Amino acid sequence: MADYLIALAGNPNAGKSTIFNALTGARQHVGNWPGKTVEKKSGLFRYRETEIEIVDLPGAYSLSAFSPEEVIARDFLLEARPDLVVTVLDAANLERNLYLAVQILELGAPAVVVLNMADVAESQGLTIDDERLSQALKAPVVRTVGRREQGIDQLVETVYQQLIRRDKGAGPSRPAEVTLERL
Amino acid sequence: MATPVTRHRKIASTEPPVASSPTTPASFAIDYGPEAEAVLVAIQTEIEHAPTLCEQYPPRWLAIQIVERDEDILRRLQASAEGASLLKRADRHIQRLAEVYGDDADIVLTDHRYGWINTLVRQVVTRPDEEKVTLSERLDRVLTHRVLGLPIFLAAMWAVFKLTSDVTAPYLDWISGVISGPVTEWAIALFHFLGLGGTWVESLVVDGVIAGVGGVLVFVPVLMSLYLALAVLEDSGYMARAAFLMDRLMQPLGLHGKSFLPMIVGFGCTVPAIYATRTLENRRDRVLTGLLVPFMSCSARLPVYVLFAAIFFPGRAGLVIFGIYMLGIAAAVLLGLVLKRTLFQGNDGAAFVMELPPYRVPTLRSIWLHMWRRTSSFMHKAWTVIMVMSIVVWALMAIPAGPGRGAFAHTEIDDSIFATAAQAIAPVFAPLGFGSWQASGSLITGFVAKEVVVSTLGQTYGAEVAATGDETPPQAVNPVQDLVRIGAGFVQATVDTIKSIPLIVGIDLFPHDESPEPSALMSSIQRSFAATSGGHAGLAGLAFMVFVLLYTPCIVAVTAARHEFGARWMWTSVIGQFALAWIAAFLVFQGGLLLGLG
Repeated sequence: MADYLIALAGNPNAGKSTIFNALTGARQHVGNWPGKTVEKKSGLFRYRETEIEIVDLPGAYSLSAFSPEEVIARDFLLEARPDLVVTVLDAANLERNLYLAVQILELGAPAVVVLNMADVAESQGLTIDDERLSQALKAPVVRTVGRREQGIDQLVETVYQQLIRRDKGAGPSRPAEVTLERL
Repeated sequence: MATPVTRHRKIASTEPPVASSPTTPASFAIDYGPEAEAVLVAIQTEIEHAPTLCEQYPPRWLAIQIVERDEDILRRLQASAEGASLLKRADRHIQRLAEVYGDDADIVLTDHRYGWINTLVRQVVTRPDEEKVTLSERLDRVLTHRVLGLPIFLAAMWAVFKLTSDVTAPYLDWISGVISGPVTEWAIALFHFLGLGGTWVESLVVDGVIAGVGGVLVFVPVLMSLYLALAVLEDSGYMARAAFLMDRLMQPLGLHGKSFLPMIVGFGCTVPAIYATRTLENRRDRVLTGLLVPFMSCSARLPVYVLFAAIFFPGRAGLVIFGIYMLGIAAAVLLGLVLKRTLFQGNDGAAFVMELPPYRVPTLRSIWLHMWRRTSSFMHKAWTVIMVMSIVVWALMAIPAGPGRGAFAHTEIDDSIFATAAQAIAPVFAPLGFGSWQASGSLITGFVAKEVVVSTLGQTYGAEVAATGDETPPQAVNPVQDLVRIGAGFVQATVDTIKSIPLIVGIDLFPHDESPEPSALMSSIQRSFAATSGGHAGLAGLAFMVFVLLYTPCIVAVTAARHEFGARWMWTSVIGQFALAWIAAFLVFQGGLLLGLG
């Protein structure tokens, strides 16, 4: 059994699967969610002697029970209680993508927020204040360009730090600082 | 991290997961405003007095779901006594909120959440001074334009169709040329060298195995080009727009906007069309589209129509062929309507929400992965089936039906057990007007591939001189020269492909420049059909064309259907198509007789 269980959440088209592939490489298992025709992907990766299992939640726009995907994602967060939820946001469509992220945070799951497709947002002339976002969401923010595997190393490190911090019971983490350290 | 880590479940069961847990980062919460917060806190306190609920759900989160009237959560709470009494007490609090907000109390939180996000985005995101109209938006103004959108879409579909049919043709010719030319010659030369020239082993390898390999390989360029087109359409973001445009048209058939592409591709070849159903997200839509796609008459069926129309309807051949294509579309529409009301009910009233992702330039790597992975997966699954069928047909034609009717692999086709088998099933087709063993035999080989229907008819009616390796003495093989020839052929195919790209724009649906079949064959078929139909050869010929249109496209399409939809749907499709083809041909022939036609 892996040391930690983490979940990967995000809207459809936010680039969740490229992040998932970049994290797990070939160590993937594809099956179905119990009793559903929705595909379930899970994988393993190892970082600093720590084995982390990651479950790719179905793409969803919210955690309200409107579609089977949303119910699956919600039930997994409620029942399996992952140690951490990595929430992937399409940086170019932040407002729409934040709805799911906010609902995940409201569920009380410790989270790492990923601003994916940061290059597209930049090309549209958008500048995003990561630090403020991180303060408001009370979670560390990492920038990635999943298609080019940019920012993946930093994501792994942030995930690891969050998991360790949580284990040590080091009290409330200071997410903004984590992001700053990485920069 | 050698020490085993306390797993999630442990932490969760001993203490409430939110707020009080020291491991949760300073708990995230949105301020929903004084009235709503008062209600949330009140409900949260109620929840904290219900230990089992507390263990299952984070209390504040549960309070939010109750106020938002989340149906799934309410149902779950109702199921337990504790939950039901909680809901009763919560209703009192919610009532207070309703007094402030009226009927909309349940969306107060959702509204607040959107407001909170909107404020956050305004603080965090700096937009460029003058709002830049993105390239995506500019493209969408043209591509999803209410007038221009449809013609552009049809042009794109036409391009995909031409790409999978005409543009790949030079490569198809090249592959079949290499297989039937150098590869076959090398094999024959090898067998002669081994002293096995003219034996049944040579015949098995040349007419069975090598022909089977060729049968699989010819699909490689077709599938590669299809996956190229699909990858570009999907990764660029155009597919979502196309689906949006076509949705209204396809909806009455119980289909999705994205079903249109497989249908179009089906006029080229059914196999890539079945794989093109993958672009549909929903399994119901995929299977339904996959069942209808075979009725789009694929290009391999065209030579049959051309031959039969020339025999039975000279002068009106074009019209008859066009009618056959239309009949296929009509069959798909009718079947779609029937299936939508029977096997595929549901999903109709569901709101249809589709995201239009921004246009992106697809990466070469992802296009290549699409093309290669999907094509090789097909090869992997299909080659055994095709090889076995190819060898079975070869064996049937090689085994003499009795003593004195030739030796194994040296028998005339009329003396083989293939003729016996065809004779045995011929009565099935008698009510359709074509109960001869030659006609049923060509339908058997047509099950393997429609391309061979005409050549089987040629062989069985004895109008074609059997041109196998037996008669031509093996020529001296020059591998170097052959390799040069193969290489040059590939270059030529590439040149021809590039040259044929402008063809994508041209409309050339019924090429009548096919080499005319020997008139001996035409009159043999005419006589034979007249004999089996009691003098109504025209009706029988038409019934035969209808049957070829509607029955199983080919063994490769069947394999593709199993690959994509599973064995159950494959059999449903095979049996359904056969039944439909038989009934339709029966109606054409017997109906025609009743009406005194032909």
